[in-house]
Amino acid sequence: MIISQETMDVDFVRKVEALSDTSVRRCFQCGKCSAGCPMATFMEHPPNRVVRLLQLGQWRRIIEGRSIWYCASCETCSTRCPNKVHLASIMDALRKLSWDADGPSKESYVQLANKLFLQNIRTYGRQYEMRLAAVFNVKSGQFLKDLMLGPKLLAKGKLKMFHSKNKNLSEIEKIFSRIEEMRKNGKAL
Amino acid sequence: MSRIGVFICHCGENISRTVDVERVAREVGLLPGVSFSTDYKYMCSDPGQNLLKNAIQEQKLTHIVVAACSPRMHEKTFRKAVEAAGLNPFLCEMANIREHCSWVHENKEEATVKAVEIVGMMVERIKKNRVLPGITVPVTKRSLVIGGGIAGIQAALDIADCGHEVILVEREPSIGGHMAQLSETFPTLDCSQCIMTPKMVDVANHPKITLHTFSEIELVEGYIGNFQVTIKKKARSVDEDKCTGCGVCMTKCPQKKIPNKFDQNIGLRTAIYVPFPQAVPNTPVIDRANCTWFKTGKCGVCQKVCGPGAVDFEQEDRLIVEAVGAIVVATGFDLYTIDEKPKGSAIKGYGEFGHGKIPDVIDGMTFERLASASGPTGGKILRPSDGKEPKQIVFIQCIGSRAREKGISYCSKVCCMYTAKHTMLYHHKVHDGQAYVFFMDARTPGKSYDEFWRRSIEEEEAVYIRGMVSRLYQKGDKIVVMGSDIAVGVQVEIEADMVVLATAIQPQKGADTLAQKLGISYDKYHFYSEAHAKLRPVECATAGIYLAGACQGPKDIPETVSQASAAAAKVMTLFSKDQLEREPIVARVREAGCVGCLACKKVCAYGAIEEKEIRDRQGNLIKTVAYVNPGVCAGCGTCQATCPSKCVELDGYTDEQIVAMIEAL
Repeated sequence: MIISQETMDVDFVRKVEALSDTSVRRCFQCGKCSAGCPMATFMEHPPNRVVRLLQLGQWRRIIEGRSIWYCASCETCSTRCPNKVHLASIMDALRKLSWDADGPSKESYVQLANKLFLQNIRTYGRQYEMRLAAVFNVKSGQFLKDLMLGPKLLAKGKLKMFHSKNKNLSEIEKIFSRIEEMRKNGKAL
Repeated sequence: MSRIGVFICHCGENISRTVDVERVAREVGLLPGVSFSTDYKYMCSDPGQNLLKNAIQEQKLTHIVVAACSPRMHEKTFRKAVEAAGLNPFLCEMANIREHCSWVHENKEEATVKAVEIVGMMVERIKKNRVLPGITVPVTKRSLVIGGGIAGIQAALDIADCGHEVILVEREPSIGGHMAQLSETFPTLDCSQCIMTPKMVDVANHPKITLHTFSEIELVEGYIGNFQVTIKKKARSVDEDKCTGCGVCMTKCPQKKIPNKFDQNIGLRTAIYVPFPQAVPNTPVIDRANCTWFKTGKCGVCQKVCGPGAVDFEQEDRLIVEAVGAIVVATGFDLYTIDEKPKGSAIKGYGEFGHGKIPDVIDGMTFERLASASGPTGGKILRPSDGKEPKQIVFIQCIGSRAREKGISYCSKVCCMYTAKHTMLYHHKVHDGQAYVFFMDARTPGKSYDEFWRRSIEEEEAVYIRGMVSRLYQKGDKIVVMGSDIAVGVQVEIEADMVVLATAIQPQKGADTLAQKLGISYDKYHFYSEAHAKLRPVECATAGIYLAGACQGPKDIPETVSQASAAAAKVMTLFSKDQLEREPIVARVREAGCVGCLACKKVCAYGAIEEKEIRDRQGNLIKTVAYVNPGVCAGCGTCQATCPSKCVELDGYTDEQIVAMIEAL
């Protein structure tokens, strides 16, 4: 890893700090966040290393990995941090920023699932699970994923064959376009 | 006939857990000479001491044995109690049944038998104890302070302010020491010169302080309260009384390109020079090795231009003798040098950091001189190689320190803090630059210290990287730093413009020679040893000599100043009495048997043994014998063990007493 003023993307870190309303520099790497994190064993960068990489401005390494998506937002890290670094908020901010950075983990398809989820909300005003599952399976190339769960869910009435639209679809569209407008003006991230 | 009282302590449960103290009291009570024996839970407590005092009165006891802890712990306590009850304090002895018995044994039966024997031995020994009168020695109420750094200055001022004369001796041409070299000081970023120079001027102006700069200690004789010190005033080649400090000689000197040691050899000076403009005294010195006059016999410009005629090429080293009662040693520290050392030396260097080969790899003190407003660059951080401002600067901590392989296992204590300070000074002077620090641990114990270190990271934007640097090498005009970040677990490479190494603190060069002159002990690194690491941290084991500052171990400025004031307080305690009282456990020579071989004199570590001539009434020499000066003798007993004719005896530990103890077994 080559460290220089060019490789340290301080601007990105400032964005994370602004969005999460916490300081990344405060962390002195005691490791308490990783010690208590229930998901740390699944992450390639445990929580303390996520902060450390941010301190060095190496955010791409985080965004390319799965760590931020395994975070369950349980906030154990934030509660126990001796330096008041709100790590759960930092994780949240990183997930938001990873949308723009277009760099979700290629293995987990979390970003794809999120995009499809929001598309469905925009189109129907509520979730249409059948479509979500079908489109996700096609786009992610895993055509038979969780196929056998379908009949069971259908039988229990948890999965509907046909969609039902929300009555106030125009109101929902307003929310979406307002957020888009704000992002264009730089008022939202 | 002695009436011995034996008092056995439970020490809470420390003794009674493994020793049946009641049985010990019973059995010891039957020994011949013992007229009273008892046990008590805490003998050292107030009721315990009263028990002892009352027993002395009621039972008319003449000798006391207290069986309890080590005499190092409570001998003084019980002797005081015995003295209060009207007995001579040296008729009280302690039998150690805690460290020597209960703490080291498990079997209660056997431990009890051993305790009875230990007490029995002491009973036999005390029967032959003499009444010892206290020894008094006169005190010369003047003190010597060796070293004119902040420690020496503080100690000298404190003692002088109490009205006692102080002789301050400094090896360099000016007082001030290392603190005068620093730019700012942590954790408040005060300018070092601003807080230091007023004190230097105070020293120069104080009516009670005699200042000898450019001088060294040649010889120390005598003992506490009565030292004779020979000081060598090296030839300055400038008469201190005549010189007005106008500085014309320095402007006219043709030798202008001599590296100035005060500026870590990056600044230049003339052959006649003061190390820095604020020097005290402001009297120049001629560096004879570099002076044209002393090399060729020609030039003499300084002598010609000197108005008061102070320049004196003929001046020679002078010896002066001063009588003092106490000595404060404040010789300070020196910095570890990174360069590779000759094979076989105890302290090794670092080849991998290229110090000495790469011009922009400097040490922390050189950075101080660069950052100092009075330094060679006027306070600008510039590279020594090309004078450019470094935009990427790397600091590496623990150079030499905590590296057993390099010969230094200790932590130098101040480097974490001064590196944090350096990153701040750099950030204040180079706004678009970036500082990186490679460190193993950040050790910041001290008031407002951790906050200071955090500030360098959180506000001054220094990037701290936990992990050491493996190698530095030159690439174009950059220095490639190859390190690791152990928090991420990756190798790190930085192309730096300048690298600053935080080098270890070592004792001043020649610390061992001075210690041998003073008769004080030092550790394997040549730091001076205190009498007790916790409870007597400013006194030497040699009475009358005190320590201040980094000569004892790495210290920062506040700690140094505290210790200097503490040493001054100890000197004042000594000076508070006209006569000095001391423990009379000293060796005595039986002159009738002494053959004058003086084997004892050779082994005495304290220089307490002198030759004494015995003459008849007509003044004819009969023989020469050894004489123990009771003021100096520390009562170690080495002479007693050495004497081939068994004519030296230590009071309280005579051969007769030792034999009696063995026979009691």
